[in-house]
Amino acid sequence: MKVVVAGGFGTGKTTLVGSVSEIPPLVTEEVLTQASIGVDDITGVEGKTSTTVALDFGRITISNDVVLYLFGTPGQDRFWFIWDELAQGAVGAIVLVDTRRLGTSFPAVDYFERRGIPFVAAVNRFYGECPYTEEEIRAALELDETVPLLWCDARDRASSKQALIELVRHALARLPATA
Amino acid sequence: MTHDVWDGDDEAEAGRLVPLYILVNGRTSPRNTSLDLATQVIALPADQTRLEQEYREILQQCTGWISIAEIGAYLHRPLTITKVMVDVLHEQGFLDIGSPAQEKIADRWLLETVLAGLQRI
Repeated sequence: MKVVVAGGFGTGKTTLVGSVSEIPPLVTEEVLTQASIGVDDITGVEGKTSTTVALDFGRITISNDVVLYLFGTPGQDRFWFIWDELAQGAVGAIVLVDTRRLGTSFPAVDYFERRGIPFVAAVNRFYGECPYTEEEIRAALELDETVPLLWCDARDRASSKQALIELVRHALARLPATA
Repeated sequence: MTHDVWDGDDEAEAGRLVPLYILVNGRTSPRNTSLDLATQVIALPADQTRLEQEYREILQQCTGWISIAEIGAYLHRPLTITKVMVDVLHEQGFLDIGSPAQEKIADRWLLETVLAGLQRI
């Protein structure tokens, strides 16, 4: 089973994965090859560049046959196809929100909303006080009122765990009643 | 560690200079499309002597259930290649694959198991 940890660059995704994982977070890489289309490339040379995308992940063993993997999404929003693979079949997602840069988490909110993937928004209180109210954050991220919004400290294991629990509860609540 | 029977001379201490895509015959994606980063695999007892070293390294990681993402991370291999190599090993009967991770999660029981498990840790 998978959980996706998303959010803008520097919102604490790696920290959250690390604080709840039972193993030191691992990094796996995906090498991308893409044709470079340089608009200001005067020589007209069309080369190929390869980019390496690093994915952090951790694991939590739930039982003998259930293992939960937490995958942090690549920081750069342009690697959407990796998000697709991560999100496919995932329990859901935790979208981390940095109150200093609310906007950086909007693409993630939008992504999961469009695909109907259960997610919770977790405001990371890395930097102390949050200058916004819950209503202001919901408005800024265009969060649906059914999406749980919670406060967390990604460095704190109990707090990160609580975010996971909220996510699973939310996913359960969204299941059709006749399961 | 295993004791390899060496039958060639294209390998140096520093490692081989064979690109990984050669080892997968240029395949760019697994035939088994249900393979996922979180898919669990385990090595089956089989004679590995004819396998390339890179494949044997994967099997060495799989003495217990392990995810494809973990294999890639431990061996420092790109994920897609890891996935294709796992697929090849599975086709040839070296690996068993656990239940796919990416079926639609509509299983209340499974989610409740996860919830209970999280509350326990």
